[in-house]
Amino acid sequence: MNEQRKDILDMLAAGKITAEEAEQLIAALERDPAPAAAGLDARPKGKLKYLRVVVDATDNGEPSRVNVRVPLQLLRAGVRLAALVPPQALVKANASLSDSGVPIDLTQLKPEQLEALVEHLDDMTVEVDSPDATVRVFCE
Amino acid sequence: MPQLVTVKVDRPGHRPIRLWVPVLPVVLLLFPVVVLVALAAIVACLVFRIGAVRALGAGWRVISALPGARFDIEQGRTAVLVAIR
Repeated sequence: MNEQRKDILDMLAAGKITAEEAEQLIAALERDPAPAAAGLDARPKGKLKYLRVVVDATDNGEPSRVNVRVPLQLLRAGVRLAALVPPQALVKANASLSDSGVPIDLTQLKPEQLEALVEHLDDMTVEVDSPDATVRVFCE
Repeated sequence: MPQLVTVKVDRPGHRPIRLWVPVLPVVLLLFPVVVLVALAAIVACLVFRIGAVRALGAGWRVISALPGARFDIEQGRTAVLVAIR
């Protein structure tokens, strides 16, 4: 059983989706079995260790480049550290975010959800192309 | 735990800076400061009612996960590199 099909069945078992929705999702999977492989260069699916952010841009005619490599282990450790932030600090952070026009409720973010997010980062590739800049975010 | 921090700075019209900082000797040299920082962290944990052991453990995890991090920024002829090994 592949990973995506298992996720759908897990959501069905947890009551997050109905049986009809699960059926539709599985049918969609069967129609398009490997959408992630399309478009981007197929990277080896071994043990991915780093999150890479590569930005190539032109500022005032000068080329600029940002190349950041962050160990995924560091993200996991950061999530554990963030889980220790006291609730009163989260309330203040929520207020500041809301004032800045970003209405995100940080108290609703659970450490398990963040860890699951980091775990699935290796499946993610973001590519943004514009005339002035190219941004790539991927794991290696 | 990180062993070596490399810092390179290139600026037009300035002498390039190359620093290789061995972490362990520096930590040993700054040991009294490290102890003070750890004590301050424990006091802060007690004030904000956070488990001090959990907090120190999480902080240690962050430090020990640093090796492999690399930040490389170039703009025109200016370049800054920070690499942790």
